[in-house]
Amino acid sequence: MKVAYYPGCVAQESGKELDMATRAVAPRLGIELQDFPSFSCCGSGFIDESNYALNTALNARNLAIAEKAGLATVMTVCSTCQGMLKLAQRNLAENKVLRARADKVLAQIGMEYRGTVEPKHMLQLIVEDLGGAEKLRPLVKRPLKGLKVGAFYGCHILRPHDTMNFEDPEDPHSFEDVIRALGAEPVDYRGRVMCCGFPIQFVRPKTGQKLAGKQILDAKRNGANAMATPCPLCHISLDTYQKEAGREVGDDLQMPVFHFPQLVGLALGMDPIALGVKRHLVDTSSALAKLGTVGVPA
Amino acid sequence: MVRVPIEVFRGGAGTPNRFDKFELELEEHTPILTALLKIRDEIDPTLAARYSCRQAICGSCAVRVNGKSRLACVTQVGPELAKRGKLRIEPMGNQPVLRDLVVDQKPFWDRYHRIEPYLIPDPAHPMPVGKENPMSPEQVAQFQETPRCIACASCFSACPALDSDPDFLGPMALAKLFRFVVDPRDGAFHQRLETVQNQSLWLCLRCNLCVEACPKDVRPAERIVDLKWMANQEIGKREAGSKHSIGFAENIQEGGVLNERRLAMDSLGLLGTLGQLPKAITMMRHGRSIKKHPPIQGREQLDVIYNAMSGREDLQHRPMSGEGGVRGKAPPPTPPAASPPAATAPTAAKPRPSGETKEAHP
Repeated sequence: MKVAYYPGCVAQESGKELDMATRAVAPRLGIELQDFPSFSCCGSGFIDESNYALNTALNARNLAIAEKAGLATVMTVCSTCQGMLKLAQRNLAENKVLRARADKVLAQIGMEYRGTVEPKHMLQLIVEDLGGAEKLRPLVKRPLKGLKVGAFYGCHILRPHDTMNFEDPEDPHSFEDVIRALGAEPVDYRGRVMCCGFPIQFVRPKTGQKLAGKQILDAKRNGANAMATPCPLCHISLDTYQKEAGREVGDDLQMPVFHFPQLVGLALGMDPIALGVKRHLVDTSSALAKLGTVGVPA
Repeated sequence: MVRVPIEVFRGGAGTPNRFDKFELELEEHTPILTALLKIRDEIDPTLAARYSCRQAICGSCAVRVNGKSRLACVTQVGPELAKRGKLRIEPMGNQPVLRDLVVDQKPFWDRYHRIEPYLIPDPAHPMPVGKENPMSPEQVAQFQETPRCIACASCFSACPALDSDPDFLGPMALAKLFRFVVDPRDGAFHQRLETVQNQSLWLCLRCNLCVEACPKDVRPAERIVDLKWMANQEIGKREAGSKHSIGFAENIQEGGVLNERRLAMDSLGLLGTLGQLPKAITMMRHGRSIKKHPPIQGREQLDVIYNAMSGREDLQHRPMSGEGGVRGKAPPPTPPAASPPAATAPTAAKPRPSGETKEAHP
C-alpha cells in the first residue's frame, strides 16, 4: 500500500529516531512510503490558537500535495499531526466560508484541495487497512515476551471522536491489540488515554511534567515495565522530560518509553540501535534485556 | 435481563473508602441511575447518590462510569458492561467526596462565579429598558452550543488540567466565558479576554476529554481554542501561552517546519532558553543535536497563504463560522415566515464508537 508519508516536525528533528524506525518498519508491513519535501508543519495545535483560518489553509495545502500525487492516504506517525490534519479535513468539509477562503488561496499558488485524501496514523492504518493487529503475528521474529507495555495513546489520535473517527475515545483497544500481537502483555491503566502535559510544557512546565509523571506512575503501578506511544510529543514528555516528571511525583520512574514503530520493529527482529533507542534519554536496556537483545546503555 | 456486576465507591463522612460489590439483574438499556436507586431501595439504604430530574435536564447525577464522567440518568448499563464486563461507579473527579457518590461542587461553582457569568453592558450603550434587545439569528448562532450547558460538571470531573493545577478555571467556566465574549449585548469583551489571558486560559491541555464527557455537546475544549485565538488577536503576545502560539506560527512561516531552537527563544525568552541548556546538552549527548531543518520545497507558497489569511478577524462576528455556523455546524434553518413555527432540525451528534449516543439537541 502506497501512502504519502507525513513525518511531522519532531520526527525530522529532535525525534529523528521515530523517522528511522518508521522507515525501517514500513516496508516489512507492506507500506510503501512516498516522501514529500514540500509538506509543512501541521500547526501542532498552536497555530490555530493564533489564527484558525491560517492553520486550516496550511493543512489544505498539505492534503492537496498528496492528492496531486494521486495518493488516497496520508500516513502520519504523530497523534498531534493526525489530529490537526483530521481537524482541517473536517473544517474544509463542513465550513463553507473557511473552505472558500482556503480554495481561493490554494488557487493563488496553483493548487487545489478536492477532499479525496484520508489522513491516517500508522496505528490506524495497521488496524483498518492492513488487516488488523493479528496480521502482524506471522511477521514477529522476536516476540516481546516479558514486556508489560503501557500503551499511551496521545489525545489527538482519539479525540474528538467525531473528528477522528477512530475508536472509543476514552477506552480504546487498538494499541493493546497490537501489543498482544507482538507477543507482549498490554497493561490496563487509566492514564493511557490521559494527557502527557506536552501542550503546557512551555506555559507551566511543572504542571506539564506533573501530568507526565502521573501517567508514567499509573502505568508503573499497574505493572508496566515499558511504555509505548504513537505520538512523538508524548514521547518528549514521557522520555525527554521523565527525570523532571519523576521529581514532580516523587518517584524515580525509570520507565523506558518506545515510539510505536520502534516497538513493532523490535518484534520484527530489528536491531534496537538501528531503531534509534540510543537517542532516548531514559535507558531502554532494562526492557531490551527481557527480549534477550544486547543491552544498549543510554 | 443480564447479570450486571457493579462496584460502587463508598466513603466520605468519616467512613472508610472502599468499593462495595453488587450484582443486579437488569435490562441492557437500564439507566445507571436506575441501577443505583435499585441498590439503595432494595439492598443498601445507606448508599448516597445525588439526582433529581432523571432526564438529563437538572445535571445533578453525574458520576464516573468505568472512569468516564457521565450523567447516570442517560447512560445505559449495556455498552460499558459489554466492553468491561462490569460497572465501576465512582464519584466525580476534581471535587471532594461528601459521602459515597455525592461530591462537594464548590470548586466547580467557585470557578463559574469567577468569570462573572452575566451580561455586563457597555456604559456607552446601556441595555434598552422596557423593550427587547434583539440579536440576529446569525449572532445567536455564534454561541449556540454553550447555552445548552446544564452545569452537570461532567467536564470538570474529566479535566486532567484541573487535577494538576488549581489555577485553571476549567472547561465549563471557560465555555461559559466564551458565550459572554461573543454575545453582542455584552460590553466587557476586551476586559474579559484580558482577565482570562492573564489567568488560566493557557493551562487548557486541549486533551478533549471534556468534549467527550459533555452530555450536551457544548465542546468546551473547542470553545477554549476560540477564546485563545480571540485573546491572541485582541491582546497579542502577553505571557508564555500567547507568545508560544503566536511565535509558533511565525516560526513555521520562516521554514515550513519547526525551528526548535527559535521556538525556545520565542516562547521562553533568553533566560528561559538558558534554563533549557542542561537539557539540550543531555540531548546532544544522546545524539540529538537540534539542527535547523532546511526550508521545505515551496516555502514561498506559505507567504502567500500567510498573507491571505492574516489580518484581524472581526471577533464579534467570527467570520470563520460564517455560513457553516460555529466551526462548521449548520445553524438551525429559519422557518418560512408564513408557516407556523417549525421545530428546528436537531444537530445530532454522531454515535460514539463505544456504542453510546449523545443526546440530539434542538
